[in-house]
Amino acid sequence: MTPSRRIHILNPRLANQIAAGEVVERPASVVKELAENAIDAGSQRIEVELENGGARLIRVRDNGSGIAEDDLPLALSRHATSKIESLKDLEGVASLGFRGEALASISSVSRLELVSNTDADPQQGWRVVAEGREMEPRVSPAPHPQGTSVCVRDLFFNTPARRKFLRTEKTEFGHVEETFRRLALSRYDIGWTLRHNQKTLHQLRSVEDAAGRERRIASLLGAKFLDHALHLDIEASGLRLWGWVGLPTHSRAQADHQYFFVNGRVVRDRLVAHAIRQAYRDVLFHGRHPVFVLYLEVDPSVVDVNVHPTKHEVRFRDGRLVHDFLFSSLHRALGEVRPNATAADSPTPEAQQSEATEDETAPRLTGPAWQQQPMALRSSETSDRYPGAERVRQFMAGYRALHPEHEESLLTPQAAAPGTEAAEVAVRERPPQGYLGETTPAQPLPEDDATQAPPLGYAVAQLHGVYILSQTARGLVVVDMHAAHERIVYERMKTQVHGGALDAQPLLVPVSMAASRAEVETAEAERDAFVRLGVELDVAGPETLLVRQVPALLADADVEPLIRDMLGDLERYGRSDRLEARINTLLSTMACHGSVRANRRLTIAEMNALLRDMERTERSGQCNHGRPTWTEMSMRELDKLFLRGQ
Amino acid sequence: MKFSISREALLRPLALVAGVVERRQTLPVLSNVLLDVREEGLSLTGTDLEVELIGRTMPSQVEEQGAATVPARKLMDICKSLPDQSEITFALEEGRAVLRSGRSRFTLSTLPVAEFPNIEDTQGSIELSLPRGTLKHLIDATSFAMAQQDVRYYLNGMLLELRSNLVRTVATDGHRLAVCSRSADIEVEPAQKLIIPRKGVLELVRLLDDSDEPVSLTLGASHVRAHTGDFTFTSKLVDGKFPDYERVVPRGGDKVFIAERAQLRQVLSRTSILSNEKYRGVRLQLEEGNLQVMANNPEQEEAEENVEIEYTGASLEIGFNVSYLIDVLNVLDEDRVQMTLADPNSSALLEEPGGGDAMYVVMPMRL
Repeated sequence: MTPSRRIHILNPRLANQIAAGEVVERPASVVKELAENAIDAGSQRIEVELENGGARLIRVRDNGSGIAEDDLPLALSRHATSKIESLKDLEGVASLGFRGEALASISSVSRLELVSNTDADPQQGWRVVAEGREMEPRVSPAPHPQGTSVCVRDLFFNTPARRKFLRTEKTEFGHVEETFRRLALSRYDIGWTLRHNQKTLHQLRSVEDAAGRERRIASLLGAKFLDHALHLDIEASGLRLWGWVGLPTHSRAQADHQYFFVNGRVVRDRLVAHAIRQAYRDVLFHGRHPVFVLYLEVDPSVVDVNVHPTKHEVRFRDGRLVHDFLFSSLHRALGEVRPNATAADSPTPEAQQSEATEDETAPRLTGPAWQQQPMALRSSETSDRYPGAERVRQFMAGYRALHPEHEESLLTPQAAAPGTEAAEVAVRERPPQGYLGETTPAQPLPEDDATQAPPLGYAVAQLHGVYILSQTARGLVVVDMHAAHERIVYERMKTQVHGGALDAQPLLVPVSMAASRAEVETAEAERDAFVRLGVELDVAGPETLLVRQVPALLADADVEPLIRDMLGDLERYGRSDRLEARINTLLSTMACHGSVRANRRLTIAEMNALLRDMERTERSGQCNHGRPTWTEMSMRELDKLFLRGQ
Repeated sequence: MKFSISREALLRPLALVAGVVERRQTLPVLSNVLLDVREEGLSLTGTDLEVELIGRTMPSQVEEQGAATVPARKLMDICKSLPDQSEITFALEEGRAVLRSGRSRFTLSTLPVAEFPNIEDTQGSIELSLPRGTLKHLIDATSFAMAQQDVRYYLNGMLLELRSNLVRTVATDGHRLAVCSRSADIEVEPAQKLIIPRKGVLELVRLLDDSDEPVSLTLGASHVRAHTGDFTFTSKLVDGKFPDYERVVPRGGDKVFIAERAQLRQVLSRTSILSNEKYRGVRLQLEEGNLQVMANNPEQEEAEENVEIEYTGASLEIGFNVSYLIDVLNVLDEDRVQMTLADPNSSALLEEPGGGDAMYVVMPMRL
């Protein structure tokens, strides 16, 4: 029909424009690509400047290594890069970029100008632009300090379809700012500046120490984030996870403020998201999203970043290990949140001031910092009044029953360790073998030590039969007694149930369920996992499964959808906790009915006992449904109400 | 009611009873003292609902029996400022109390007697009696270490432990601890432990003297009552568990030195002038035969003192809140004091050389 249609090579500009469709979606993606190049060039300072939300101008200037004059023509052509040379490099890629497409793509849909200088002499720079269908690069001298500036004008001037999809200036700038935030959070050692329409919005100096990092986080995410966040730093099996996770009470209605970095690269990954969601299960209020800034450091060779051109997804060689590591680290960290972990640990107000305003560090007191040591006062009947250590042991024994052995090292009973730091040391020092059969001796829990007044203080009164008022060293604590008791009963039940082996209930009439071939395969492969969970599955045919046995607690539940969900999880994440989740839901309901209700008069002694129980119980900050169980008002806040000391 | 009484007979019981009455009150009747005149005498009662004190005295003449409550502090100030040996006539006229003495006349407001709170009679489960001097010594030796308005409410008081042939008091504020025990001729089975609130302790000790006269104690479930001839003292008890003080007493300190108590106290007082006003830290450098005491403050001013001690052993540097040490040296009786240390992070034990009836534990400061 159309004999004139012959196969031919696309001209470079068109080819690049097609590639740009994947990578260059909006100004924010340009900023991301250019800033990542700047990072890879080893810059210490990166400035991003925008006009009109980036539609008119995007300029990214760095002080990195720069591009040599001879390389400049290549810089703008496709499949040209200095970052990798062979496939071997790709397998262990340490730079953010490596595809060699970004500059070519961006230059094909905008007026791009690149000025660079490898020399310290600012008169030595060179400029390159690519023009025309063939995108012939043209190089001319131009002065520039050491480093590279990329100036992108009139984005999508030649692709009207794309231009139409651009939103308002404000929206586009919002996206750029979000990108900037991610970039600034990914590298603390780089100073970052963001300017829009000649206005400086962020100026972040490079920081080295923890306080500086927290300052940067406070200025990017708000000081409130750190007030309600938990710092963690855990290393095990060649993985290191550090960063900040928001307390369950400090959740958000939207899933923003979630930053996860793998080797400095921001990632939105299903496996990661699942592991985090699981860790927050039953402490987060319905429909709320956790906040976190987390950094996972792994050997670059075990993670594949070449999955998608924007590199938002990654693939781990051992996804199950990563999933378990993330889950158990976060789960433990969140479980350790006891009433004492909040305000005392949060940084001082001075540390929270934004980086821009903090120009000089306040002069420190020159005198020696004397510190009076407290006496180790203990209550006379320590042993029987504090069964906490025993409970933790039971709890961990329950975990061991639920999880396969190879991950034991991740699930060591560190609930008994006083804090994340100690936990980290414990992980490092514990030999991988030899621990398995060992029963941990009852370690004295920190709560046993009555040196300090207990974090939740002593009950003073009951209010309307609902709340407990308690006086603490810092001020006043109000406890929702039903919510608090519910959590205590729930955790106790969980310990009991998961402490022993799961009682299984063989079914008189096996349930036959239709399954896909993939599901049947998974069922066969994961038979051991199922047995451990108290489920016995038989393959009755190529597409039929027989359920012969279920956990006794779930004997009345609808088995088929549950098994199907479990199979799905095992296939996707290599791990299923559906059964545990279901049992926990059941326990949660039982706990709700088994705990004290409103209008129950409590004596002071009963209230104090409840407070002490809360201090010992994991996750006691939230009830089973994620509502907070207690809140604190410091003397300062109370004083403010009455304008005292103003 | 109407009676007359000499100023001297009224003043001492009134002063003690008024001491219990808090200066500022939300409940007006609590700032009053209850006067009750009967055949057998005049009784004065003051209370703050936690501590109640009743004093008894003899009027010189009773014309009409009866009771009234009048502002305690005003009554006391009036009586105090009247000339010595005055004779005071007290009468109730139309709901007001009229006080006459010589050519002076004072009219005080009154509040209904029925409003005056009365700590309900305790079912005294145990009664015993001690020499007043013994109880006074025990309280004096330990009361300085009581906590003040600590959230750990059970520390805001003194533990009184009574067992057969032994009485012991313990007080601690979490940084230092004082224990004092004395043998006494009492029979208590099982042993009793009660926490008397801080204010009660301070009021009780004012009633005691160094005599061997008995003070009888009645221990109730929530109250303790002490009876000395003219006074009846009642205090609520702190409902809580006192920490296990025996665990805190250090054992196995190997660095033991003996110093002149008065000399060491003066050295510490002088050094403390230049210690940090907030932390009050001083540094002790222990060497053979010599103890060096150093202090400096944020202005970089420095104090250094050396004092001779009896010591042979390894040297040690350790920091203390100087006030804690001075407090202990103030209450010890002997001329010399013995201090036992182990290392810079372990508590110090102070006592009389060879161990007296009191022991003091002070936690060091970390530099």
